[in-house]
Amino acid sequence: MADRLFAGFLLIVTLAYAFIAWTIIKAPFQYDPLGPESWPRILAAFAVPCILYIMWRPDAAPFDVNGSTWARLGLMVVILLAYAQLFEPLGYIISTTLFGGIVARTLGAPHKGAWAFGAGMGVGGHLLCVTLMGMNLPLGEIVEAAMEMFKAEQAQ
Amino acid sequence: MIEIFEGLATGFAVALTPFNLMLVLIGCFMGTLIGALPGIGPINGVAILLPIAYSLNFPPESALIMLAGIYYGAEFGGRISSILLNVPGDASSVMTTLDGHPMAVRGEAGKALSASAIASFIGGTFAVVLMTLFGPLFSSVAVGFSPANYVALMVFAFACLASLVGSNPTKTLLGALIGLMLATIGIDSNTGVARYTFGIPDFLAGIDFLIVVVGLFGMAELMHLVEQQIKGGIKTLPIDSSFVKMSEIVALRWTLLRSSIIGFIIGVLPGTGASVASAVAYGTEKRLAGPEGAKTFGKGDIRGLVAPESANNAAAGGAMVPMLTLGIPGSGTTAILLGALLMFNIQPGPLLFEQKPEIAWGLIASMYIGNVALLVINLPLVGLFARLLTIPQHFLTPLIAILAFIGIYAIVGNPHDLFLITILGVFGWFLRKLDFSLAPVILGFVLGRLFEDNLRRALSISGGDWAILVEDLTSIAIYVMTILIVVGPIWLSRRASNRAKAD
Repeated sequence: MADRLFAGFLLIVTLAYAFIAWTIIKAPFQYDPLGPESWPRILAAFAVPCILYIMWRPDAAPFDVNGSTWARLGLMVVILLAYAQLFEPLGYIISTTLFGGIVARTLGAPHKGAWAFGAGMGVGGHLLCVTLMGMNLPLGEIVEAAMEMFKAEQAQ
Repeated sequence: MIEIFEGLATGFAVALTPFNLMLVLIGCFMGTLIGALPGIGPINGVAILLPIAYSLNFPPESALIMLAGIYYGAEFGGRISSILLNVPGDASSVMTTLDGHPMAVRGEAGKALSASAIASFIGGTFAVVLMTLFGPLFSSVAVGFSPANYVALMVFAFACLASLVGSNPTKTLLGALIGLMLATIGIDSNTGVARYTFGIPDFLAGIDFLIVVVGLFGMAELMHLVEQQIKGGIKTLPIDSSFVKMSEIVALRWTLLRSSIIGFIIGVLPGTGASVASAVAYGTEKRLAGPEGAKTFGKGDIRGLVAPESANNAAAGGAMVPMLTLGIPGSGTTAILLGALLMFNIQPGPLLFEQKPEIAWGLIASMYIGNVALLVINLPLVGLFARLLTIPQHFLTPLIAILAFIGIYAIVGNPHDLFLITILGVFGWFLRKLDFSLAPVILGFVLGRLFEDNLRRALSISGGDWAILVEDLTSIAIYVMTILIVVGPIWLSRRASNRAKAD
C-alpha cells in the first residue's frame, strides 16, 4: 500500500515533469539535433513505465511504523526545523547546546548527560571549528547585540 | 611500466608531505571510527564529513586523500561492530557477521578481529597494486572514447546497478532515474535555457550536490536511527588476547587471493561496490568448501570471515579505478567522491592521469600508506574502537545532525540549506523505508550531466542519426557486456533454483 501511494506520488511528479518537458522547455534557437527538452523527455519516458510497474506489483514490506515511532519521528523533524530556524538568530553555540540537550533528552539520555553533551558540542564545536579551523559558523544576532552593548558600556 | 614508476614517484611526493600524511592518518582514523559505529556505514560517513572537508579550503588532492581515507577506513572498521555486536555497520559488512560473530561468541574475538584486519589489509593493498597497474591502462584506452562510447558506458553502468544492486531492479532503476531527473534542474549548459527552476534563483545553478548528499545520506540515516532507536547501551562481547597465527593466514592464502580478485573486479564494475563484492566472495568460498564447509560456514569458520573482509576492501579500491579513469564511479561512495572532485572543478576522466597527476597518483600513493596505517591503527587500538561502539544512540543521533549542520552552513552560510537537507532527509528515509536503495539516486545525480552531454554531442556529430550510438565496435562490445550483466544473474539464479528442485 505504501509502495503504491509513493509510486502514485512519483507518477504525479513525473507527469508534471514530462508535461513541462513537452510544453514549456524550448530553446530560442539551436543548432544541435537534441535540444534542452529532449533529455528530460527521454528520462520521463523511462520513469513512467517503472512507476507503473511498481504500482502494478508493489513489493515493499508493510509500513510497520507504530504510533509512538511516528510521534518520535515527527518530533525529531520539528526539532530539526527549529534548529535550522534558530541557527542564525541564536548563533551556533546556544542553538547547538539547546538542540543537543533536547534531542539527547528526548531520546532517553539522563538529564545531566544530555545537557553536558549539548554544551560540550556547542562550546567545544565552536572552539574546534571556528577558532582552530577557521570555519564559518554564525555567532548569533543575540550574542552580537549583547557584545555591542557590552562594548558601548565600556566605551562610556 | 616506467610511466607507472614515474607516476608513483609523483604520487608519493604528494602523499608524503607532512600535511597530506597527517590527513591520510586522520582520514583512516575517522573512517575506522565511523565504520565501527553500528549503523553508520562508509557512505553515510563520507556524506556527513564531505562538506566539512570542503569548507576547510584544502587543496583538492588533500581533500580527496582524506575523504578516500575515510572511505576505505570505514570499510576496514565495519568489521568491528559486525564481530563484536553482530550489528553490521552497513550492507558491505553484513557477510562479516555470519562467521565473525560466532567466533567472538566462542571466545575468539581477538583472533577474529586480527584475522579480519589482516584480510582487509591484504584485500586493500591488492586492490591498490592492481589500481596502480590498471589505472593508467584504463585511461589510455579511454582517451580514445567517443561520446557514443560514453553513452554506451553509461547504459552499462545503469544496467550493472539495476542488475546487481538492491532486491528489486525496477526500484533501483527508478532510483537512478530520480537522480538523473534531479540533475536536470538548473541552466542547460548547451543552450542556456533554464529547466525546472520555477523562477527560483537558487535553482539556476542546479541543486547543490552537497545538499543532496548530506540530505539523502546523513539526515536520512539520522531519521533511520531515530526510528530504530535502541534503548540504553549495547553490550559488546569482550576482546580476549587471542591472536591469529601467521600459519593460519598462510593457510588461507588462496581464499584471500580469490576474494581479493572477486572484490576488485566487482568494485571496478560501475555502480556495484563492496556490498555485492563481499556477498559474492562469501558465496564463492562457501561453494568451494563443499559439503564439509556447509557445516562450518555460518558457525564461525575463519574462511567465512576473511573472504568478505578482503573482498570489501578490495572493492573499495577497485571502485576508484573507473571513477578516476572514466569519470564513472564504481560504487555509491565513489559517486560522492566524484561529486567532491567536480566541486573542485576537476573532471575525472582519461586525462586526469596526465593533466592532474598529483591528484590521481597522489590518491593512489596515499592508499598504500593508508592501508599500512590502518593495519597499524587497528591491531593495537581495536580495544579503543570497541569501547566507542558503546556510545549511546541518544548522543550519536544529535551528533550526526550537528555535524551535518556545521558542514552545510560553513560552505555557503545560507540557513535555507539547513531546511532543505532536513526535508531531503525525510524523503530519503521514505525511499529507504520502501526498499529503494539510495546509492543509485546519487549515482544518477552525479552522472546526469555527463550522460546528457555525451548523448547530445554524439547526436550532433551524426547530425541527429541515432544509429551512431551502435555504430562502432567499442560501443557494440559495451552493449554486449550490458546484455551479459543483465541476463547473467537471471540465468544463474534460474539454474540454481532448477538444481535445488532436482535435489
